[in-house]
Amino acid sequence: MARSQKKGPYVHESLWKKLQVMRASGEKRVIKTYKRASMILPEMVSFTIAVHNGRKFIPVYCTESMVGHRLGEFSITRTFKGHSGSKKTK
Amino acid sequence: MARLAGIDLPNKRIVIALTYIYGIGLGTSKKLIADAGLDESSRAHALSEEDLNKLRDQIKKIQVEGDLRREVGLSLKRLIEINCFRGQRHRRGLPCRGQRTKTNARTRRGKKRIAVAGKKVAGKK
Repeated sequence: MARSQKKGPYVHESLWKKLQVMRASGEKRVIKTYKRASMILPEMVSFTIAVHNGRKFIPVYCTESMVGHRLGEFSITRTFKGHSGSKKTK
Repeated sequence: MARLAGIDLPNKRIVIALTYIYGIGLGTSKKLIADAGLDESSRAHALSEEDLNKLRDQIKKIQVEGDLRREVGLSLKRLIEINCFRGQRHRRGLPCRGQRTKTNARTRRGKKRIAVAGKKVAGKK
């Protein structure tokens, strides 16, 4: 079920606070975060956020068309390099 | 010959015939016919030009065929371009809503490819 309109989009507080500080000061720095479930807002466009994938932080550069997606969608948690026998992957 | 939205309708009951148009299923078809004030069970080829025009007016209100295909294509392209999880699944032709892929998922992955025993050895020689 979709999230209630009343609540607005979900963004973790600490991430939001950091973003506000950065926007206020006009400086652009990569924010490291574990908050994969946070939504990408229009305010985040043109910022780079390093999203943890369980092993390391993947830098995600937010663009206009990513708005409404979650941060975690851009930081893949599984790596599949192909099966050992298959010829295709080499 | 009854022609709607660039598609030749088969001579079936009109509810069924409309579903041959991309973007119209049984539900939409029933609604369109009710809105046009027609009878569901009349044959497609038996419809008068006047009735067909009523249907055309109804179909204009929804997105079908080329326009719909284009929209679907564009939204897929967007998912692939922004490199999100769903986009990557589409690129690889795998299910993107969390279904299992150990077995099943045949709709996305295509027809079964069975590994032939001894094929690899023969290839190496």
